[in-house]
Amino acid sequence: MIVLELALYFAALSLVAFGGMPAVMPEMQRFVVEVKGWTTPAEFTQLFAVAQAAPGPNVLIVSLIGWKVGGLAGALVGLVAVCGPAAAIAWWVTELWERFKESPWRAAIQKAIAPLVVGLILSGGYVLATPHAIPEWRMWLIAGAAAAIHVVTPRLNPLWLLAGGAALGAILLS
Amino acid sequence: MTQADFVETIGLCQFLPGPNIGNASIVLGKRWFGFAGALVAAAGLYALPLVWVLALGALYLEFADHTYVRAVVTGVGAAGAGLFIGTAIKLGTALVRKPAALVLLLGCFLAVGVGRVSMLLVMPLAAVVGIWIARRGWL
Repeated sequence: MIVLELALYFAALSLVAFGGMPAVMPEMQRFVVEVKGWTTPAEFTQLFAVAQAAPGPNVLIVSLIGWKVGGLAGALVGLVAVCGPAAAIAWWVTELWERFKESPWRAAIQKAIAPLVVGLILSGGYVLATPHAIPEWRMWLIAGAAAAIHVVTPRLNPLWLLAGGAALGAILLS
Repeated sequence: MTQADFVETIGLCQFLPGPNIGNASIVLGKRWFGFAGALVAAAGLYALPLVWVLALGALYLEFADHTYVRAVVTGVGAAGAGLFIGTAIKLGTALVRKPAALVLLLGCFLAVGVGRVSMLLVMPLAAVVGIWIARRGWL
């Protein structure tokens, strides 16, 4: 049953995931942690960390959640559910979207979505760095430093920032 | 495939809902080899990373009770959160001159990030408001 729930939820999430995975992180955290209690807030941030550090698309956090909740079946079902509906849209919509290239509606939709995606990505960062909904200065320090470095040195491989986060975590959070 | 074509395809895949790179595998796989191409491209994209992430995840779950392991992994999570914030700042600077866009951005952040309202509610509502504003030429 839990695997079915996982499938339905992530399939729905897939359809609103404009801007990719970062934009749906706050919603995923809300559902997995607050609504379902499948992980604790701290565990969610840790699973996110594992998915970020592992090579490959960051959507794989869904597999980790599925794995935790329903084993290998959960991992596979979660991944297919979060990719499937979006893949179907990508399959059908591409040509349609091309056809409406000159339409003012297409331009309006693109312009409307952009600030929303940015707001959602910001929300994702905020939620992940504030797992218990209470500001925690050590988490914010690490996140703030990573954010600042990411902005001023765009060419730096983000893996270095994750490594720095690991080192700071070992010092500050243990 | 030309550079311009590539940029346009990636741009579309970033806009479409779902994992961007996954969408790209579908669009490109379809273009060159049809349904089988899309399926194989997506499977190829995810197969090996899935093994990796599950292996790392299993390792983490095995040692999650260890204080140091938890501290290190949480530190990585905080840095990853910082990457999101940095990305939002970078993308947001392009919108600074448009007050209506900033209002939408902040409204979205306050509702979803701070207020923890479901995005499944906020997104359709905000999209309608955003499209209305965009049609008036404010974005």
